[in-house]
Amino acid sequence: MREVQIDSAQQAQAEEKRVGVYICHCGGNISDHVDVEALCARAGQAPGVAVARTHMFMCSDPGQEMIIKDLQEGKVNRVVVASCAPSLHESTFRGTLQRAGFNPYLYEHANIREQVSWVHHGRPATEKATALVAAAAAKAARLEPLEPIRMDVIRHATVIGAGVAGLQAALDLASRGIPVALIEKSPFLGGHVAKLDNIAPSNEKASELLTRLTRQVLDQPAITVHTCTRVVGFAGCVGNFTLRIKVDGEQGQDEGKKLHSMPTKTPRRGVFLPQYGVVTGSCPENPAEDSIETGAVILATGFKPYQPMFGEYGYGRHPQVVTLPEAIQALAGENGSHPVWHWHGRPIRNLAIIHCVGSRQIPGVHEAAEGAALNEYCSRTCCSASLGFANQVRENYPVTRVFEFYRDIRTYGRGQEELYQRASKNRVLFFRFEAQEPPRIESNGTGSESPLQITVKDTLTFGEEVQVAADLVVLAVGMKPNGIDDLVEMMKLPVGSDGFLLEVHPKLRPVELPNSGLLLAGTCQAPMDIGEATNAASAAAVKASGLLARGFVELDPFVAEVNLEQCTGTGACVVACPRDGALQLAEVAVNGKPFKKAQVSPAFCLGCGACVAVCPTNAINIKGWTLKQYEAMVDAIVADLAA
Amino acid sequence: MAVTPEFFEQLERFGVAKTFECFNCGTCAAICPLVYEHFPRKLIRYAQLGALDRILENPKELWRCLHCGLCTQTCPREANPGELILGLRRFVVDRWRRSQHV
Repeated sequence: MREVQIDSAQQAQAEEKRVGVYICHCGGNISDHVDVEALCARAGQAPGVAVARTHMFMCSDPGQEMIIKDLQEGKVNRVVVASCAPSLHESTFRGTLQRAGFNPYLYEHANIREQVSWVHHGRPATEKATALVAAAAAKAARLEPLEPIRMDVIRHATVIGAGVAGLQAALDLASRGIPVALIEKSPFLGGHVAKLDNIAPSNEKASELLTRLTRQVLDQPAITVHTCTRVVGFAGCVGNFTLRIKVDGEQGQDEGKKLHSMPTKTPRRGVFLPQYGVVTGSCPENPAEDSIETGAVILATGFKPYQPMFGEYGYGRHPQVVTLPEAIQALAGENGSHPVWHWHGRPIRNLAIIHCVGSRQIPGVHEAAEGAALNEYCSRTCCSASLGFANQVRENYPVTRVFEFYRDIRTYGRGQEELYQRASKNRVLFFRFEAQEPPRIESNGTGSESPLQITVKDTLTFGEEVQVAADLVVLAVGMKPNGIDDLVEMMKLPVGSDGFLLEVHPKLRPVELPNSGLLLAGTCQAPMDIGEATNAASAAAVKASGLLARGFVELDPFVAEVNLEQCTGTGACVVACPRDGALQLAEVAVNGKPFKKAQVSPAFCLGCGACVAVCPTNAINIKGWTLKQYEAMVDAIVADLAA
Repeated sequence: MAVTPEFFEQLERFGVAKTFECFNCGTCAAICPLVYEHFPRKLIRYAQLGALDRILENPKELWRCLHCGLCTQTCPREANPGELILGLRRFVVDRWRRSQHV
């Protein structure tokens, strides 16, 4: 039981609040529409305001120096800046207070640019700015110093998914001395890269690349590899997560069944099996559950290739229409003993490759699979993969002619334009079609040499319709996000309209999720090639290790706080609280007598205020946003300083 | 129009080698002083496709070429369009000789 002493007298010892109001011209952005000087004069009249000043750019060094000077000279001890949106400069001005030796939370921001001068003009603009500044000043006079919530973190990270991104992230974390749990649902390491053969543009063998990477992972004592394992439970917050994991055994997993179909029942650990990946050992016979305490989680759940619908470019209707992954697999299986590439017993003399299958889909032109959204994005890797495949065929089987049908073609990145150059030298023939008029694939009829005929309105031939005979049609399918609905639900992950996981900011915080402590690596976020996925993985590992190396996290102090004197223990707040673990009733001894009182776990509290709204005695408040502060703001607005 | 890529291998005998490096940008047609119906770009494309019929439909077009060399000089892919026109002329003459005309 917690012991607390309540002394009503301590609330009385309040220092005198002197508010400084600092109004920014924003170089005319604000002052062209708001009468800044009139606003300043009115603000000076507001109750509790000791100083009101203006500046052309308050965020500039001289602007901030002006505030620091007033603070240090004792003229003010609470600050309001009226300027742009708080997302731009709230933290700037909190820093100003800190540099002056003040608590950064003795600060209130009034947005008179986005919410005033950019949307209102003339007198109404100045009036609205006056109301906002008056409200901010009223709140500022009731601000108390706050301290950020400091929490120790568990120095351990978890990576979900053991494709190249997951492997790289685990390796980078471990090399910084952070213990890592690497969780993979299949019995193999390597993900989709294991299904590749030659990797464009360097022509490196996927098997060599994976063997090299997994050797390091398996030799790294700080990494614990959990194969045949799924995450089935998730709780906690940044620095202190608990993951429940389930080892499924072989029968529960499709992938596990593959191990049974292996030529050798118990392949050696670290051996690469083409199409499957690197073996880590066999799955346990019986399902088992375990839990992992971890400080940060990197999601590296990857992608799945787009599965063409029945009849899309003849897929499913003609057995000679296959996807690029299927074709790569078939070609890799050739032993090269025959001068012509044979597929299902017949020679491939004419090979067609169609680009953008399942990518760059256009509403009204393309049809989505049932219940699925259109894939409007470019999958980015298929152009290079197709050209790499075409070159491989032309160079190993010169009698096979290759035809490529594209909407647009782009092999971005270093060494990749050369793939196109090489394809031209290899006499690959290109056709270009419009999305509205895709190539048609039909049977060539019996007796003809090639089983299929492709008809396309070719814009490179000035819109003429041309026919190409084909023995095999390869569809360069794009990437779809892997099915991780369970994780999305469990971890409350944000998902973009394209189905991929959504980062905080595409440019400035590209590997972070808004859920603090969760990071993104690789193709669960967007289509990427191997280099880009590895890049993202290393970035995520750095972000995670930065978080964990510090040993603690600081969270915003805007969380619920209980006034134990007023709390009568009704429990209404506990019922209203949407976050598990944030609020509970606890036995508390007040001045020696036991009572049931609400108790906040600050690390879990979202600061939403649902509890504040339901408390019958107003005993619970959000720090920095108390009801008293709100009331003061409303009073200030109603008092109408502009009148 | 059916694509017959074998045709291009015939053209090689007439000194045409680099036509497949063309990526159909049209610089040759823009620089050509004849300014005539995508000449020589169209013929390059027909040669890539092996559209023999299209080339023979109007072989006289080949003799409009002044062989000034501007297309070859400006081609960003060094696909040598001028050489293709000469090669096609040789091909057409050879075909004509093999027919009953001589």
